Amino acid sequence: MLLAKTLGSSTFRLALIAIGVFGLIVSAIFAYVYWSTLSYVRDRSDRAIMIEQASLDEAYARSGRGGLTALIAQRVVDKNFADHVYLLAGPGSAPLAGNLKQWPADASGQGWAEFRTSLPALSSGSALMRGVTETLSNGDRLLVGRDISDLDGFMAQIRAAGIAAVLLIIGLAAAASIGVTRRTVGRIEQINAISRAIMLSGLDQRIPLRGSHDEWDRVAENLNLMLDRIQTLMGDVKQVGENIAHDLRTPLTRMRGRLEKAYHAPRNQQADAALIGDTIADLDAVLGMFASITRISEIETRARKGAFRIVNLVEIAGEVVELYDAAAEEVTTHLELAGDPAVQVTGDRDLLFDAIANLVDNAIKHGRPGGRVIVTCDNDENGAVIAVADDGPGIPAEQYDHVFKRFYRLEQSRYTPGNGLGLSLVAAVASLHGARIELRDNAPGLLCRLVFPAAET
Amino acid sequence: MTGAHRRILVVEDDPETAGQLVEELTTSGYEVDLAANGREALSQGAARDYAVITIDRMLPDIDGITVMRQMRDDGIAVPFLIISALGEVDDRVRGLRAGGDDYLVKPFSFVELLARLEALGRRSETVAKETILRVGDLAVDLIARTASRRGRKIPLLPKEFQLLEYLARNEGRVVSRAMLLQHVWDLHFDPSTNIIDVYVGRVRRKVDDQQAYPLIHTIRGIGYCLRAPG
Repeated sequence: MLLAKTLGSSTFRLALIAIGVFGLIVSAIFAYVYWSTLSYVRDRSDRAIMIEQASLDEAYARSGRGGLTALIAQRVVDKNFADHVYLLAGPGSAPLAGNLKQWPADASGQGWAEFRTSLPALSSGSALMRGVTETLSNGDRLLVGRDISDLDGFMAQIRAAGIAAVLLIIGLAAAASIGVTRRTVGRIEQINAISRAIMLSGLDQRIPLRGSHDEWDRVAENLNLMLDRIQTLMGDVKQVGENIAHDLRTPLTRMRGRLEKAYHAPRNQQADAALIGDTIADLDAVLGMFASITRISEIETRARKGAFRIVNLVEIAGEVVELYDAAAEEVTTHLELAGDPAVQVTGDRDLLFDAIANLVDNAIKHGRPGGRVIVTCDNDENGAVIAVADDGPGIPAEQYDHVFKRFYRLEQSRYTPGNGLGLSLVAAVASLHGARIELRDNAPGLLCRLVFPAAET
Repeated sequence: MTGAHRRILVVEDDPETAGQLVEELTTSGYEVDLAANGREALSQGAARDYAVITIDRMLPDIDGITVMRQMRDDGIAVPFLIISALGEVDDRVRGLRAGGDDYLVKPFSFVELLARLEALGRRSETVAKETILRVGDLAVDLIARTASRRGRKIPLLPKEFQLLEYLARNEGRVVSRAMLLQHVWDLHFDPSTNIIDVYVGRVRRKVDDQQAYPLIHTIRGIGYCLRAPG
């Protein structure tokens, strides 16, 4: 099972390719060494033959055929030249001198030749000879050669060693690849098995670490971190789901109770009309909550940059302030716009309006009745900034991170109308615009700043 | 108002929704034709003169937007009301850009639908180029951008004036909160708060306080209506 997986794994296939390429290179190197050794050894042997030929030529030049015959006769019995062959033949190929009885068929032409022959001095039968033939000025032909059987044997040994080395290397590499691949596949299989178990049973399991701090442990660590994150997110989703269920169940229960009571009561046109009106209003609130949730998800997931234009934050903030002026007036809160006359950002007017409106809405609702809410737009050196400040009770600093969560409501505002989605929407809009949200203590009250990235010029 | 201008073409593929629409619109005094798909819509739209065509964006054969474009290319100038389950801003804007005159997101209330149809149908009538709109003793001067009751000027902020102007232009007709947001503030989303009510409340105080009779009426669950008594 594991072996089959090993042989079928991509690592092993890669290893095979590497072995193939490596084997080819090693073979090429050996071939080169072989051929260069061969030519070197042959070169030396040929030079020795040529020197011998030169000394024979010299004897011939000095004292003619007689001198040459004498020197050949002397050489044939010389032990130092036992591995040499000599043959001097007259014009009719009749042997005149030398230790060969007849002209070898393989050396019939001029120049270099290799041929097999048996020598009286050699115990073993025939030997491989290499020799050179020349025609002397009197028409005689002279063959000088040498036994190259040793050389041939030496080359055969080199060849055998080379082939053995190549095979050994390939064999070892193959074994090593199988071993390494097997280890890799084994670890991957372990991770796979745990992943399957997690898919089947739940997110509680983690991949065990070997403590080796190698790349496998790092992979396992990262997968574990990913699982932690997924578990947290799932928890969040569950929490949001429960919050939705809670926030929806409340108006739905109210509606149901109201309808049930009306169903059993005698018909009364006026009461029925009021009841239906209230129910529609509650239903609209529920639909509105759905719309907010989908709107936030949509803003969070899409890249709406295509619809971005250069907009003036002051203009948008001015419209928001005007829209909320009446609401502020109702709680005798003073709402005002301050800061630079023009602050430009690249963005989506509708979304920015929605975000600023939510901040102003929060500031009015959670600020001090009769207090002040100030919306400030500024061109900071780091980019455009819009700040909304109130002088109400504020938010404890440790809650800053939580207020952007969906449906999060501070204990103190549990009974203020709202669905806890406003700041989530602000956060989503800010992140789409690449803006940073900062919450600060306004001493007293809350200061919320949206810091936009500096415009690209 | 001629008979032709009380005739509406409803393009809707879901039989139940279509049935509800036809029933509701017929009760409200419209003559209603129904097209169940894009092809029928194209042939019926070309054959008759309608006051308004309501069109679903998702149709079984041709996309609602394509149908609308096709009719516009054929020179049919009838106002379109897009009805769509796709509620997101991009879809709305795309629908309007493609030649829609107004949109409504499912689920919607029939009162909202009627309010929008009234406003659209009125647009297709020849509107007299009045410079002063009069509702009872209220006069809205569109040139000077001022409003007065019985000759006494009402101090209004620019947006407050725009709101009153929109109500006056739709005198006697119900105007929904969403319509106000769309036409006065150019906002294409529904705010989760009651901010519009608060805003209208303030305009109402300026317009109706210490007067012989109220002009701005709240229509429960829907919006507002500007009308003189009697």
